[in-house]
Amino acid sequence: MAAPETPKLKPRPIVRLGILLISHNLVVSVICCISGIVALLLLPILAKNTYISENALMPGSANPMLSTQDVADANKLVKDLMDLKSESTSSDKMQRVVAEYISDLGAEVGYQKFYPQSDQFNPLHFFSLPDPGTLQEKVNCSSFAINVIGIARAPRGDGKEAIVLVTPYNFEDADLLDALSVGLTYSVFSLLTQVTWLAKDIIWLVADSRCGEYSSVAAWLRDYQTPVFGSSSAADSSTCDSSNTFYGLKDSSVIERKITDNFRRAGTMAAALVIKVIDKSEPFEDTLSLYAEASNGQMPNLDLINIVNYLAVHRQGLHVKVQKLTSLINAKWLTVLAQIFEYVGVIARRLNPQWKFGIPAAEYVDGTATLASSLYNQALGVPTGPHGAFRDYQVDAVTLEFSPKVYSMSKGRHKEFLVQGGRLIEGVIRSVNNLLEKFHQSFFLYLLTSPGRFVSVGVYMIPFALLVTPLPIMAASLYTKTNNLDSDAETNDLSIYQKSFTWLNAAKKVLLVHLWGAIVSLLPYAICHLGVSTPAMNLAVWSMLSVLCYLLFCLILGVRSAKSGKAQWAVLKSATLSAVFIGLCLMSVVNFATAEFGALLLVPMCLVIYPLKSDLHAGGLMNFSRMACNLALVLIGFPPAAFILLKGALDGFHSIYVGDFWIWVESLWAWNSATYLYITMIHLPCWLLCLHVLLHTR
Amino acid sequence: MTTAPLKLFSAFNSMAIPLLVLSLCLSNLCGSASASVSSSSETTMHTNNWAVLVCTSRFWFNYRHMANTLSLYRTVKRLGIPDERIILMLADDMACNARNKYPAQVFNNENHRLNLYGDNVEVDYRGYEVTVENFLRVLTGRHETAVPRSKRLLSDEGSHILLYMTGHGGDEFLKFQDSEELQSHDLADAVKQMKEKGRFKELLIMVDTCQAATLFSQLHSPGVLAIGSSLKGENSYSHHLDSDVGVSVVDRFTFYTLAFFERLNMYDNASLSSLFSSYNPSLLLSTAYYRTDLYPRQMEQVPVTNFFGSVMETIHTDHPYRYSKRKGSSKGKIEMSLDQAVQDEKRRILSNLGDQNIDSDTKCPMGSMIHMWNSILDEIEKFEDRDTLVYYGLVMMLPLLAVSSWLSS
Repeated sequence: MAAPETPKLKPRPIVRLGILLISHNLVVSVICCISGIVALLLLPILAKNTYISENALMPGSANPMLSTQDVADANKLVKDLMDLKSESTSSDKMQRVVAEYISDLGAEVGYQKFYPQSDQFNPLHFFSLPDPGTLQEKVNCSSFAINVIGIARAPRGDGKEAIVLVTPYNFEDADLLDALSVGLTYSVFSLLTQVTWLAKDIIWLVADSRCGEYSSVAAWLRDYQTPVFGSSSAADSSTCDSSNTFYGLKDSSVIERKITDNFRRAGTMAAALVIKVIDKSEPFEDTLSLYAEASNGQMPNLDLINIVNYLAVHRQGLHVKVQKLTSLINAKWLTVLAQIFEYVGVIARRLNPQWKFGIPAAEYVDGTATLASSLYNQALGVPTGPHGAFRDYQVDAVTLEFSPKVYSMSKGRHKEFLVQGGRLIEGVIRSVNNLLEKFHQSFFLYLLTSPGRFVSVGVYMIPFALLVTPLPIMAASLYTKTNNLDSDAETNDLSIYQKSFTWLNAAKKVLLVHLWGAIVSLLPYAICHLGVSTPAMNLAVWSMLSVLCYLLFCLILGVRSAKSGKAQWAVLKSATLSAVFIGLCLMSVVNFATAEFGALLLVPMCLVIYPLKSDLHAGGLMNFSRMACNLALVLIGFPPAAFILLKGALDGFHSIYVGDFWIWVESLWAWNSATYLYITMIHLPCWLLCLHVLLHTR
Repeated sequence: MTTAPLKLFSAFNSMAIPLLVLSLCLSNLCGSASASVSSSSETTMHTNNWAVLVCTSRFWFNYRHMANTLSLYRTVKRLGIPDERIILMLADDMACNARNKYPAQVFNNENHRLNLYGDNVEVDYRGYEVTVENFLRVLTGRHETAVPRSKRLLSDEGSHILLYMTGHGGDEFLKFQDSEELQSHDLADAVKQMKEKGRFKELLIMVDTCQAATLFSQLHSPGVLAIGSSLKGENSYSHHLDSDVGVSVVDRFTFYTLAFFERLNMYDNASLSSLFSSYNPSLLLSTAYYRTDLYPRQMEQVPVTNFFGSVMETIHTDHPYRYSKRKGSSKGKIEMSLDQAVQDEKRRILSNLGDQNIDSDTKCPMGSMIHMWNSILDEIEKFEDRDTLVYYGLVMMLPLLAVSSWLSS
């Protein structure tokens, strides 16, 4: 009975939705971009309170056992160290004193001699740990440092796991506070050599920080994780004179002690705590600053931060801080915004008492400053302390920076401070000691808005997702528009050929520009070998070479294209949008914070970009404003300009120096930050493509 | 089923036996023919007590579960259940955990007065042996042949069994170790098998987990009494933290159960209902749940020692040596045939009767008759309910036995 005529095929709902979105791309883009930025600003409100996720941890369930006797011993060590310093004793004598102190506790002691590695750019070292064999070629034999390592074995443990305590100490130039940090760790370590409840070995690394805190810890970790079999000292002696027996000879008097030059090991590391004492002149209370960011925005498990925060606040009564962008706290616009949010929250609660999303303005400002700092540090991809070295080996680590209040320091009342800090460290170790597996229960991807509040990955993905959504929609819309334009004009084989050629041409251009970006990223390797001294000169050489390289590309490979009318820039823009989309999404996997910042800079620029010439010809008010907008966005999108603007906004414009950008970039590759790759291989090429569209002539 | 007692009786060369056999077989036949399991259990008397104590969770932070179980172990031992009738299952060894500040000791109170892990602790299933499979095997008695007797629940039709379980539970399940779970219908199935195999007379299941009540929802077998620490949707909380050891050491429900039992000795007559009413929801922070619909007796009339203690029938005799010698020989026979519950039960009754028989054979029949009469009176006093029926039946048989033995000699 059915009619034989074929019914008109209706496309599937998802296709229809896609077509709808593409046809309203302008509205969708505007809404998505604005809501993305608003969502980003809402993050401090959406932050949740942290909670201890792992049952096994049980922080604070045991009473601290640290006694005043341990602290008295620690005080003696501090005094000894300060005396030695005032007598200007050589550093190896001081190291021996520390080693003897540790050995007197019944722990094993070892020395590790290492040579600091240079910060040379090596493109092959991204995302990979340098091979110890290749490192030896570049070491400077004249300067070396010696770490002292003490290991307390768990009396009934299986010896397969360890907890690491790190105290960076500069044996050549240390003040009272540095000595206090050694004393603080010593007091805990001396307790841990006596307790019966250890299930994991305790490693205490007194890192010789004369060549930098990070590098000493990294050197120790490198040796720890890559055991050399066979002749252990062969690698050392091949490059530098064999002074390995240095300590063995001098320590002949204490031969019965468990002190050796051999590299001592314990099991896999469950967690690491870096302990520092600094003077921040805290007026009222002892504070504890937490630093957690490791390379490429990696964070330790949130549980580690949670237990430290929980014990510090609820057991020891310390004031816990995380880093903040202080310049944001006083920013006018943020205060206004905070008041608006507070007001909206109050109104919402009046409408329905169940809605409790408003937070006080001061808390919002504080949360935003912390969140911004958290994002910034993650985006930079540079570790904020020696704990970063542990993250490279998937060990959760955090730096605890104690700063005693002025009062206790001035009166020389170290004991109270040592008891308080020591009990905190003991509590954290006891909690980690209870752990059965690696930290895995809580979040690894999060942003902190205060020591007790966090934004998890599921929430902070939303602003980014909203920001990048318009990119493919706009690209599709532009592509379909140009296709329609062409098909209207003429429909012969030539036009189809030309159409596909336009598309290919744009794709080729995008590819070539990205290739250029890759070459630009490799140029510093050559520049380092040129031996130019000042950062400004380096930067100049780098930009000159980049431009030269670009011109060469244009000449040889040619960015010539077939004449296909006005549509050409639109296709190029469409291809650029696709490239930006792919680049940002890839980057969000590697380092989310970088991608977030990149999206904030790139997405508006890429969406708005329009040829200057067309706007000039049209000459309306709309066109003019678009032109201004384009120029401003392209200026901000240029990495050095963005850097200078950001730096100026944070630190003030008076201190800006041209070479700063080079120094900054240098630090990025020195730390193997993926942000460097992002800037040169995604951001810069995309910016250049936008410039192409802007300056399009035909 | 009926052939087993026959075989057994042939071991005794006495003329009285055919009569006894006949009567016993008849009662047995009646029991199986009626196919109502409850009636057979009603007719058998409570002769022995067993306890199965299970701690299902491992890891250091579950210290309290092991302490719970060991506390119960200590209590039932104190109240008279011997070690060979306790199956103790501990999923982890807290005493020797490296994190334990007091090596080889387990405490259930922060005052550390009582070391639960003293000298006489017999752990039957430990560590990774504590699995759902092994647990069900213990209950149903389906063991591999190599499993020693000490690891088997050799209960019979006259057994009162206490089954105590603690660990982490949820809606209709109990977690074993960190990987398995026992579901409510698994438990119900095992109990049903036990009932049908005549492995218990009465069973008290006591569970201290979150949502413990849900674990009983599938039970159907008569003679089962269940106590749970919490209702559906409720958590069971720990009682207190020992800040010296650094863990919670006991759960609330178990803590108050123990508090109840600490006041008792094995001769006390405190009833189950007094135990149940001792749970205070405001102290437990959860509502204790009792399932009594499958249990035939009145709670007020059942002493807690029926489950937490052990029956101790002492039969006074003027000739202890002969008596004990005789008993020893019969015991040896019991051990030869393994865990046939019914056999065990019959044998028990028989050995008692046989002993008395021999007593009457010897010089002073009158004395033994008086003693017997006294013991019968005692029995009548003790078992007022349906057990009295059984006893009257047995008493009726005694003169018959005496007469027949006279005749044979």
